[in-house]
Amino acid sequence: MIRIEDIRTQARDILETGEVRAVIGWRRGSRGMAAEPVLISQPEEAESLVWDPTCFHNLSLNLVQERKRLARKGMASNKPLALVAKGCDARSVTVLLQENHFRREDVYVLGVSCEGSGVLDERKLARVLDGLTPDSAAYDGDDYVFQTEEGEKRLPAREVMADRCLECRSAYPRLNNAVFGEEKTRGLEAPFAALSRFEQNRGAERWDFWKRQFERCIRCFACRSVCPLCYCEECVVDSIRLEVTPETTADEKANRIRWIERSASRSDNFGYHMTRALHLAGRCIDCAECERVCPVHIPLRLLNNKLEREAREKFGYEPGASVDLPALVSSFRDDDPNEFIR
Amino acid sequence: MSRQGDWNLNPMSETYEPKIVAFLCKWCSSAGSDLAGVSRIQYPANATPITVACSGSVSPQYVLSAFKKGADGVLVSGCHIGDCHYMEGNYHARRKLYLVKELLEFTGVEPERFRMSWVSAAEGAKFAQVVRDFVDDLRPLGSQDKMRNEPT
Amino acid sequence: MSKKRTGVFVCHCGNNIAATVDVARVAQEMAGEESVVCAKDYVYMCSDPGQNAVIQAIKDNQLDSVVVSCCSPTLHEKTFRDNARAAGLNEFTCEIANIREQCAWVHKDRAKATEKAIKISRSAVRRVSGAKSLEPIGIGVTRRVLVIGGGIAGIQASLDLANAGLEVVLVEKQATLGGHMIQLSETFPTLDCSQCILSPKMVEVSRHPKIKLMTYSELQEVSGYVGNFKAKILKKPTYVDPEKCKICDDCSQVCPVVVPNQYDLNLTARRAIHIPYAQAIPASYTLDIKACLGLNPVVCGKCKDACEAQAINYDMQPETVVEDVGAIIVATGFDLYGQEKLGEFGQGKIEDVLDGLQFERLCSASGPTKGRILRPSDHTEPKDVVFIQCVGSRDPARHCAYCSKICCMYTAKHASLYKHHVPDGRAWVFYIDIRSGGKGYEEFVQRTMEEDEAIYLRGRVSTLYQQNGKIRVMGTDTLSGENVEIDADMVVLALAMQPSAGTAEAAKVLKIGRDKDGFLAEAHPKLKPVESVTVGVYLAGTAQGPKDIPETVSQASAAAAKAIILLSQDRLTHAPTVAQVRKSHCTGCEMCVDACPYEAIHLENGKAVVNDVLCEGCGTCSATCVRAAIEVKNATPMQMNQMIEAVLGF
Repeated sequence: MIRIEDIRTQARDILETGEVRAVIGWRRGSRGMAAEPVLISQPEEAESLVWDPTCFHNLSLNLVQERKRLARKGMASNKPLALVAKGCDARSVTVLLQENHFRREDVYVLGVSCEGSGVLDERKLARVLDGLTPDSAAYDGDDYVFQTEEGEKRLPAREVMADRCLECRSAYPRLNNAVFGEEKTRGLEAPFAALSRFEQNRGAERWDFWKRQFERCIRCFACRSVCPLCYCEECVVDSIRLEVTPETTADEKANRIRWIERSASRSDNFGYHMTRALHLAGRCIDCAECERVCPVHIPLRLLNNKLEREAREKFGYEPGASVDLPALVSSFRDDDPNEFIR
Repeated sequence: MSRQGDWNLNPMSETYEPKIVAFLCKWCSSAGSDLAGVSRIQYPANATPITVACSGSVSPQYVLSAFKKGADGVLVSGCHIGDCHYMEGNYHARRKLYLVKELLEFTGVEPERFRMSWVSAAEGAKFAQVVRDFVDDLRPLGSQDKMRNEPT
Repeated sequence: MSKKRTGVFVCHCGNNIAATVDVARVAQEMAGEESVVCAKDYVYMCSDPGQNAVIQAIKDNQLDSVVVSCCSPTLHEKTFRDNARAAGLNEFTCEIANIREQCAWVHKDRAKATEKAIKISRSAVRRVSGAKSLEPIGIGVTRRVLVIGGGIAGIQASLDLANAGLEVVLVEKQATLGGHMIQLSETFPTLDCSQCILSPKMVEVSRHPKIKLMTYSELQEVSGYVGNFKAKILKKPTYVDPEKCKICDDCSQVCPVVVPNQYDLNLTARRAIHIPYAQAIPASYTLDIKACLGLNPVVCGKCKDACEAQAINYDMQPETVVEDVGAIIVATGFDLYGQEKLGEFGQGKIEDVLDGLQFERLCSASGPTKGRILRPSDHTEPKDVVFIQCVGSRDPARHCAYCSKICCMYTAKHASLYKHHVPDGRAWVFYIDIRSGGKGYEEFVQRTMEEDEAIYLRGRVSTLYQQNGKIRVMGTDTLSGENVEIDADMVVLALAMQPSAGTAEAAKVLKIGRDKDGFLAEAHPKLKPVESVTVGVYLAGTAQGPKDIPETVSQASAAAAKAIILLSQDRLTHAPTVAQVRKSHCTGCEMCVDACPYEAIHLENGKAVVNDVLCEGCGTCSATCVRAAIEVKNATPMQMNQMIEAVLGF
């Protein structure tokens, strides 16, 4: 079991010794039982940190945002920033290091092996609880335990756990400076189970499905905003904002390629989501935050999962496995699939 | 994944003339296409070539963009593996465009619409055949409406 | 981007294009393009009047760009770009639209072919509307060449280069030139003495005023690029001044340390202070510091006392020199496959199981037995000698998958030499098949079988072991289908050739690729067999793949010729269509760095930087970058986007 006191003590210690500038973790949120991200810089604030199955967020996003904030202010950080990271989150930190977005010494990973507790899927939970709003959620090693106005309520993990946690193959944060929890993974479902279920559909059915999804997308860009790996200053789909620097040429200012319009038409939405999936190929580590925050419930995880599975099965490439690996699309093997080529 | 026979086919299929964008690498496939010309091997005029330095330079964005602009089919053709003028470009193309192909198919786009081939400078006849086959496979599918801009 | 003034010139090519394509309509359609100020068609654009018409039109209309719709760019791109330049335009704003090979010649339907020709021409017009004026990149050159490896390949390349007037720095790891060839006794198929043909070349190298010979030296670092490499070379101390050394051998007579002599493949011993061969170049002793008791005269100091010429200097220090060179030839040679990896053949632990090079030393007049073939274990003359071919070669499951190419021939030579030395002995040869392509090679093998009566057995040896002072060889003769057991006095293994250890090091230092077997990778398997993937770095000899001496010499001369061609120019020019980085968008993720086949991109202050000289403009970086931060000049995504639109009728 993971004791929150241990995480707090470690956070307090590294803040007190000045080893890190701040710690990004979760605290009790203002919305129902859900935890929310927090950046603390004072040792005494460590008391506010929490750990429970509502710690959904991939805090490496906050790490990226903090870097951007400093850069905008023209400040350089001389001390590392710590973050609490689940197994999956730690893998996205690995990708960020792999892409030189951070140096290893700039990041202090307080790794939490969730030991298979996973995180909740709020939508599944709402369906099961049917109007009941719990005050808190905990994991007892087997089930989720909720405190509600009607007293304690237990639910089997399988019923309300987020899909990606059901399918988790490694809950242990391999990249870490300190680690809490044991190396234990439950794997209640096979990896890519949801993907495999979807792939049972025939081509025309798949198109009917995705057509519906792409027609619904409102292009709020929440998926992009929440993704720690969408850290580009300018996204290829943005045609209104251009970061203008002294090197920006007049041509660049005057002529933008509009590969994809910002308007929410089906074809532009298709282009947007395809481009996003391709740009995340070999980089996405399946934190599924994009899917969680989508206001119209597009199952974005399927797209990313599809390419992750291809990367693993066809190219032997595991996203977020190593800081030293070249990226999926900047490497190749002699025996990459070739039979599809005439 | 089932690959054939589950899309609605266009009843006008026999007469439909698909529009194809063909990205050809300069060193092999474009040269192979030249050889088809020199040999006067006839093939349908549906595929318009865009010659690029290397298949490795064909960004997935180009493929998606061609479909968005109304292509019924996109062909990317390069040197055979091991023969790339730039040694490795076609390996990179193969990996990246495999992902594009898989993703298109996954979302229910007809798999026939995207095609890759290796055509060497000596394979004029093969180039003609690749285009012929592609046109034959695309005709029954009719116009590509899934990814193209909606008519305004 | 200021709007271009483009001229379009549509060629009839007599009837070649005009019969199928309505050329007038193509010109008319192009005239409707925003950037086009003049569009013409003409019967033969490439004829003198045609070319002059283009030049005139450029001047009359103040054109800044040109599209010629005609035949394949492989034919007349250069013609029209030269014209453009002659008329005062930048040639990189001239593009060819291929409407002959890729259109008129392959379609019959006039309407469809015309439509396609319009699309092809329009996409070229859009492309040049985004084209920039570019100037070829000029690079100064250093007219010196570094040759790595002093075997026959390095020697031949150095002599060719030096005789062409180029300065050469020849670096050899060992204390002498000669490589493996100097270890050989006779060479197939003529059986001329290896040392006799190699020594004069070694001497020539040492005396050549254009060659700086650096033996006992190692390449440590190489920076720079074609025409302008900087090579850091470590010169290890020999502790003997070659100018003063009289090779009198007084020093080694008094040296108390005895170690195996690697120059004789450990069949003999040498002293710590030694000379590799009598014919060594430089003709000087070397003090092997690893074997020496210590340079402190208190510890030993005997050699120094014995040297009357006062050639020995214990204070000699390692020295690092930096050489500026314009080209590099890698000739780092081969090693034999390790016997220790061959469990079935005694793992190298049976004294009378020799490898091919050891047998060469036994046959050599300057070898450990002064040219008498004697068993290392008891110095008796072997009467039954088994030669086994393809040991470690052609065995993808356990050893090397490839054929080492020279073993069939040298085994035949060994069998023949043995029979010449021991006429009453029996030479048994196990082979899979005989590969004897080459001038006089097949005849040589036949002579070995027929005149020298070597007994050729088609089959593999399964195992061998020592028994009663003999080596029992268990094999199969697959032609008769019978098992063969031979009680041999000596066994000679034709071990696979593998790239030398130094080859791997050199590849790393030079950042040039190696193939799946570790041999140096050529830039193109057919058309660039002596070029490495790095421009200005050439390959010679067995470091590139197994080959015999004539082939090695040919390749060395070819590599030298390539370097001479390269350095015959005062300045090198390089196509300016190279990648450029949009710094504002680069995040320094290094994807382009990893994807670049030419190692032309590196990071500086967290941003990608392209070395224009190394970049070949393939565009793989551009297609790999997810941030649209790198693109190839005049083949930008912007231009591609507009070409795609043109093709789709926008």
